[in-house]
Amino acid sequence: MKPFRILLSCILALVIFISFTPNAWAFCGFYVAKADSKLYNKASQVVIAKDDKRTILTMANDYQGDVKDFAIVVPVPVVLQKEQVKIGDAKVIERLDAFSAPRLVEYFDSDPCQQVYYDGAIPVPQSAPAANESLRQERKTSLGVTVEAQFNVGEYEILVLSAKESDGLETWLKQNGYRMPSGASSLLQPYIRQQMKFFVAKVNIAEFNKSGYQNLRPLMIAYESPKFMLPIRLGMINSTSEQDLIVYVLSPKGQAEVTNYRTVKVPSGDEIPVFVKNEFGDFYKSMFQNAYSKEDRKVAFLEYAWDMGSCDPCSADPLTPEELKKAGVFWLKPNEGSNAFITRIHVRYTRDKFPEDLMFQETANREQFQGRYVLRHPFKGSTTCQAGAEYQKSLPARFEREAQTLSSLTGWNLPSIRQKMNLAEYPSTSVSPTPFWETIWDKQSNSQTQTTDVAQSNSQPQTTQVALSEDASTSNPWKGMYILLALLAILGSIAIYVMFVL
Amino acid sequence: MLKDARDYQILFLSLFLVLGIGTRDWTLHPEFILVAIATCCLTQWVAASLKYFIEVDNKDARDNGNTEGLIDTKNLADVFNFSLVKPAFRSAIITSLGLSLLLRVDHCSTMVLAGAIAISSKFIFKIKDKHFFNPANIGIIAVLVLTQDAWVSPGQWGEDWWYLLLFAGTGGLIVKKVGRWDTTAAFLGAYALLEAIRNFWLGWTWDVYWHRLMSGSLLLFALFMITDPRSIPNARISRYLWAISIALLTFILRNYFFIPTAVFWALFALAPLTIVFDSIWQAPRFSWQETSPSFTENLTLDLAIAPKSAPQMEREKSQVG
Repeated sequence: MKPFRILLSCILALVIFISFTPNAWAFCGFYVAKADSKLYNKASQVVIAKDDKRTILTMANDYQGDVKDFAIVVPVPVVLQKEQVKIGDAKVIERLDAFSAPRLVEYFDSDPCQQVYYDGAIPVPQSAPAANESLRQERKTSLGVTVEAQFNVGEYEILVLSAKESDGLETWLKQNGYRMPSGASSLLQPYIRQQMKFFVAKVNIAEFNKSGYQNLRPLMIAYESPKFMLPIRLGMINSTSEQDLIVYVLSPKGQAEVTNYRTVKVPSGDEIPVFVKNEFGDFYKSMFQNAYSKEDRKVAFLEYAWDMGSCDPCSADPLTPEELKKAGVFWLKPNEGSNAFITRIHVRYTRDKFPEDLMFQETANREQFQGRYVLRHPFKGSTTCQAGAEYQKSLPARFEREAQTLSSLTGWNLPSIRQKMNLAEYPSTSVSPTPFWETIWDKQSNSQTQTTDVAQSNSQPQTTQVALSEDASTSNPWKGMYILLALLAILGSIAIYVMFVL
Repeated sequence: MLKDARDYQILFLSLFLVLGIGTRDWTLHPEFILVAIATCCLTQWVAASLKYFIEVDNKDARDNGNTEGLIDTKNLADVFNFSLVKPAFRSAIITSLGLSLLLRVDHCSTMVLAGAIAISSKFIFKIKDKHFFNPANIGIIAVLVLTQDAWVSPGQWGEDWWYLLLFAGTGGLIVKKVGRWDTTAAFLGAYALLEAIRNFWLGWTWDVYWHRLMSGSLLLFALFMITDPRSIPNARISRYLWAISIALLTFILRNYFFIPTAVFWALFALAPLTIVFDSIWQAPRFSWQETSPSFTENLTLDLAIAPKSAPQMEREKSQVG
């Protein structure tokens, strides 16, 4: 009967473990706020739907100035005809932004004396919108220039130019009423020599007024080319300041990545103090800036990578097939579901750290990733059991950990974080630390004088489950594990040949 | 000190892996590294055993005039006798570490395929006992073509100077150790020159040029992949030509066909040139153990095939050592 008993106790232990851990820490939590592109003053947004060589590129236009001054010059790999250019829907870009934005989720600790867990979510006002701006270059005039195509699409007048010499192109643009920043010529030359064409768009005021839209709508272009790049150099002609670019790559294969700069995941999964709920926008901005500086300002950040059929937790509903089509997804077939993988890449670039245009590639990587930050509300009711006392005791250390995480993520001042956390409102935060000897000496055995209440509850096994839930909640336990595994792998390999070869 | 240059390679490749996992956030999974090492070693062992038995069998057949060609079952225990079978575990480990550094996969099975093809290629694609495909390279190309879930991340090493120094320093040590630094120099020199000409012609500022050359993946390739002395041409002149042609093809594929993995395709396409070059310019074959009998054997073998002047031999010998 002995083996049977051992087996039984193992199963029991497993059941206890399984039934406590997930309750304390479900994977996704509830979505409460998002940090979308409205946070940044100058953020260009580009949607690239790409399958092999076929590309549909959408450039969002949040141009804030007088529309009659608006004009863009974008190097494109091939000549575009009228049917390859369309007006996009700004709402779809907003939808993509909302769907893929970094998110805040929250959990509520339950009464540690009653093992009934629940999660809840409270809607939180989003951060105040700021101005947003698109890929924009101003330009002027030229010669030796061929107008490959000329047409109107919606409120835009579009020219597709090819040129032999950059000086000629510059002069031509100037003569035709485009204001070119100085130094444009030398930057146009590399594109001309790479046989690229220039997509030039300006606004037809009469059409714009007729359309009744308040803002310029996005422009979409469709072309076939193996070139998977975004020209950022032209946008940096006269600017040394940081510019934000958010690229949504939609692909049937998997994640996209930048091939000529590192693509780094934004910090994610960290537990932060609950007060961040009211200032999530500020939090994300500071955190992004901090991560950006830590990486020496020269990497692209992955903010989201997910199959578009689902989300967990959702910051917005997944896009419908109809919306995906509007975003340029052209490979969907009816009744085959939405096979689209979205990658949101956030690049903050400056002239000195990003000398070369961004080159991308699609990969088969279908690993999902999201920028996600966790709030854990402590249980505020009064607790009477031993587990409750343990729980209360554990809180100060947890708050401190959250404060330090927040400080290291954002670079915010630690004392002011502690102040904001308003720790006094939790009754138990003043509990003095457990004496070290209590970790090995049973409290009951050396304190006969204590109340029977404590002695009783001490004999209950409940204390372990708090410890379990605490363990499960430490952030990012996998990284250390991976490093350890890797070291083992390498040591193993060395051991193998020492054993077999030497 | 380690007596075999491959031990240095294993050490440095492992170091890069640890650094990669620790400091770059990669889609690098330790379990895939383990799978790669296990697959490569196992394939190496199986293939070496097969080779051993076929050779022993043929020898027996010749010796006894027996043409039945059956493996003597009592010798099957020899499979576990590594001194007889001689599976080159060092090479297998180097290949698996190279695969782990460069190749990214979604599933273990793809890594198994890559490792198995890489090692088998050494036993299949060979002429005069010399394999001409770089094992890790052919493994990568095979899974890129045959499967849907493999890719290479050329940007993930970044372009830090620190890495450049580390790569160049340690890589240099290794290639100097094995006497094939000339391949790296020829490849990098030719590639840098071509990129410089293009940069100048296009009119980009020079920081664009440096950024293009600073790629960690390119250096990793130049220092650890095209220097594998067992699969590259024997004579120095042919190594120069070989490396320069790879640089040229890489340049074309990268800039005119926009293939991010250009270097691997270039090496794969031009690897068979090794045979051609070896038949034009003969030189002693490389062997890992500089003082081992196999080196002398190879030397004698090559001498027998292509008699050479003594000074020429002397030169090449010193370059190998």
